[in-house]
Amino acid sequence: MTTKIHQLSPRLANQIAAGEVVERPASVIKELLENCLDAGASKVDVDVEQGGVKLMRVRDNGSGIDKQDLALALSRHATSKITSLDELEAVQSLGFRGEALASVSSVSRLTLTSNVLKQDSAWQVMTEGRDMVAQLQPAAHPVGTSVEVRDLFFNTPARRKFLRTEKTEFGHLEEVIKRLALSRFDVAFSLKHNQKVIHNLRPADTQAAQEKRVASVCGPTFMQQALHIEMEAPGLRLWGWVGLPTFSRSQADLQYFFVNGRVVRDKLVGHAVRQAYRDVLYHGRHPAFVLYLELESANVDVNVHPTKHEVRFRDGRLVHDFIFRSLHKALAQVRPETPTGGGLEQLGVVQNQPVAQGLEAGVFAGQTQVDLGQQNGNAASSSAGYQSQTWQSGLNQPSPQQLQEQTKVYGSLHGDAVAPANPTGEARQVPALGYAVAQLHGIYILSENAQGLVLVDMHAAHERIVYEKMKLSWAGQGIKAQPLLVPISMAVSSREADHVETAQDVFAELGFVIDRAGTENLVVRQVPSLLQHANVEQLVRDVLADVVTFGSSDRIRAAHNELLGTMACHGAVRANRRLNHVEMNALLRDMEVTERSGQCNHGRPTWTQLSLSELDKLFMRGQ
Amino acid sequence: MKFTISREAFLKPLVLVAGVVERRQTLPVLANILVVVEGDQLTLTGTDLEVELVGRVSLDQAGEDGSVTIPARKLMDICKSLPDHAMIEVAQTDEHVLVRSARSRFKLSTLPAADFPNVEDSPESFEFEVPQMALKQLVDQTGFAMAQQDVRYYLNGMLFEIKDAQLRTVATDGHRLATSCMPVGLPDQAAQQLIVPRKGVLELARLMTEEDGTVRLVIGASHIRAFTNEFIFTSKLVDGKFPDYERVLPRNGDKIVLVDRLAMRGVLSRAAILSNEKYRGVRMTVSDTNLQVVANNPEQEEAEESLMVDYQGAQIEIGFNVGYVLDVLNVLHSDQVKMTLSDSNSSALLADGGNGAAQYVIMPMRL
Repeated sequence: MTTKIHQLSPRLANQIAAGEVVERPASVIKELLENCLDAGASKVDVDVEQGGVKLMRVRDNGSGIDKQDLALALSRHATSKITSLDELEAVQSLGFRGEALASVSSVSRLTLTSNVLKQDSAWQVMTEGRDMVAQLQPAAHPVGTSVEVRDLFFNTPARRKFLRTEKTEFGHLEEVIKRLALSRFDVAFSLKHNQKVIHNLRPADTQAAQEKRVASVCGPTFMQQALHIEMEAPGLRLWGWVGLPTFSRSQADLQYFFVNGRVVRDKLVGHAVRQAYRDVLYHGRHPAFVLYLELESANVDVNVHPTKHEVRFRDGRLVHDFIFRSLHKALAQVRPETPTGGGLEQLGVVQNQPVAQGLEAGVFAGQTQVDLGQQNGNAASSSAGYQSQTWQSGLNQPSPQQLQEQTKVYGSLHGDAVAPANPTGEARQVPALGYAVAQLHGIYILSENAQGLVLVDMHAAHERIVYEKMKLSWAGQGIKAQPLLVPISMAVSSREADHVETAQDVFAELGFVIDRAGTENLVVRQVPSLLQHANVEQLVRDVLADVVTFGSSDRIRAAHNELLGTMACHGAVRANRRLNHVEMNALLRDMEVTERSGQCNHGRPTWTQLSLSELDKLFMRGQ
Repeated sequence: MKFTISREAFLKPLVLVAGVVERRQTLPVLANILVVVEGDQLTLTGTDLEVELVGRVSLDQAGEDGSVTIPARKLMDICKSLPDHAMIEVAQTDEHVLVRSARSRFKLSTLPAADFPNVEDSPESFEFEVPQMALKQLVDQTGFAMAQQDVRYYLNGMLFEIKDAQLRTVATDGHRLATSCMPVGLPDQAAQQLIVPRKGVLELARLMTEEDGTVRLVIGASHIRAFTNEFIFTSKLVDGKFPDYERVLPRNGDKIVLVDRLAMRGVLSRAAILSNEKYRGVRMTVSDTNLQVVANNPEQEEAEESLMVDYQGAQIEIGFNVGYVLDVLNVLHSDQVKMTLSDSNSSALLADGGNGAAQYVIMPMRL
């Protein structure tokens, strides 16, 4: 066999290129849908048979392709999206490589039908043979483009063997459509599988409609347990929905992050989000979120990876900090408040909450949606006078009159005009967590609020309150450092040692003094006082890894917080401690004003609501 | 094997020997003690493979010779709970031993004496004798500073250094260092450094009970032996390089403060109550004849104390972990303590006001 160098045939070259981009039906759908969106379509219909292996048809009402361009569209490195390097650097469209159609057509039977305005009829193009010669013929089609992909991988048996079952492949395909549906609220999407309508999403221009779309894509429970956030910084904007810590998942499968409308799964972004949830999420569980980050396209490089799942930020540290701070702040403000009555109920989504929500479906649930940033004036510490009145009124719902009186007493006690400002409804007057009724087995507090019954895990709740107080008071102290009498030497790679030298200021800020003792040797001369008994070597390595990847590290704070968490756990009231009503109410009021009081330090929920209607259901009342 | 002994005579060596035996074992024979009778000599041996302790008692009347291993803790608990002055008879029957006393009878399982591990012998380099009380004081003055389960395994022990006819002990956990020394009758050229593991040090100190007795220390290449009238104690040595204490001792201290030990201890233990409970920092300000101690905690509570001291010179402010200072004040016996400081970032040297044999180095804290 001669080993002479020769030019690959266009088909083979395309098949090799397809190896990078086209992995399974879902990747074809992704490329085709991105083309639709780049063509400015407002309606996209996807029709799939046998999980996409047999047939995928994508039809849009976008700008379409001219007859002259049709043949070119199927050849490699042909695109209308960019023309120069300058445009690549500020690319706005989802695609830009000009490889998708050529790749797909090299591994399937592809027909492209398109029509543009001011053209008599639509034209259809398909390629075949070794050199991928394009064949053009007239067809019937409205303005827009249809791409039909049949028999994917019919000529690459190796790939075909690696395809999974129809159900799995369709699952992946559906995921792609979900992601794009979340990225473009202004576009209508429909998906049919084996002639059955799976999704039919109308364009959503109001926030309510957007929330409805998110609910239908991510499941209604996510929306019930999600927080809408919107934060801005110069050149950056972050908005979307984050799941409450109580709505955590056993897998990282409900995490959608969009950078300028592009889905990304980025390490930096993931780390920032995880860090924000660290304090409130149960060990080993994953947060759920749908987030949109918008920034100038010049500040982000999307041409990093063929599937464009990774991006590179010009100022990664800034973006990381912005995401972390925004989410951290949003989550900190989660505290029990009277529900707003907005959200899903307005949308007509049926709230069918089973009584035993618990961990079924892999979800902690039960805490009501909260109102962000709206500080309830009532939520201060409890007052005995206020409380005793409630007790006189027994277990009946207090009448508005009584409530007015109570508010007066309350107001006079606290010397500022609180609640009367908005005497809109009864719900406003009773604090979010209501008033304690009794203590159960020395573990739980039962409390009555406007919605029904609140159950509070006394230890968990108190633990969080103590923990937050400690964090606050310790934060004011700054980091104290303890120089070591006998320095600790540790062996690292020379690359790590280089990083230590360049990041001296970061380490100094954290209370470390680290010198380089050789090419692969470090000497730790000073450690933060609080952590002097921790495993210093491990800590330095962790900090170093963070500094290398993210430019900063919060390991020290995490280690601090862990210590404080243990202290808080020991300092909190234990089970089997009898509390009287004054104490219980004081605890409930404290919870209302404490940040992150929905979860204890370990991420367990601290309270749950059993509404009257749920209780009614238990006893089949009114059925 | 068979012997009879009074409860009191038996209990004293038994308790000490059983103290060496670890509570939890993977090797069953290590939970036992070796009992050997030779004529009127009874020998008890306990080991955890690192430390070995042999206790010897003479019997009033010779028993039957023989050797066997018996569960240490059970035997000890039985003997402890027998009435005072009871006579105990221990006899071996095949697989078991019978322990009898008056109308009580206990049958204990045994393991063959041949399975009992010996701490290996290694060539001995030299030996010397010191008073028991002096050795105990030497160990007590420094033992508190030993590290506990540090990854730097050589810090989990105490350095014994023989040099210039002196025996010096050094212990450090990386944050503070303690050292003390005493003269021993050895030729000047004898010099050696050895690290005794933490457990060995603590057991050795426990054995030093005779007010006027002496102990003969035998130093080997990989073990140290201590002989007293009643015991032979053997400990393996830690193979490692102990930090150079000479380099750690500060030499440039020019500010010498003499304080009353008990008064200072009172001041610091009161201030410690309001120091940060995790790292226990206190701030000391030394000015002419006055030492001020301030401690505060995250709850914004504050303790302030001041004390007369013997000092002339420039004012100096320095922060310490109060626990480290209190540890030193607790083990010293002199009335006065000498503190040598140079500046607020350099280590401080504390020494007893008497002969200054015991010295302590404490790193300041950056407050």
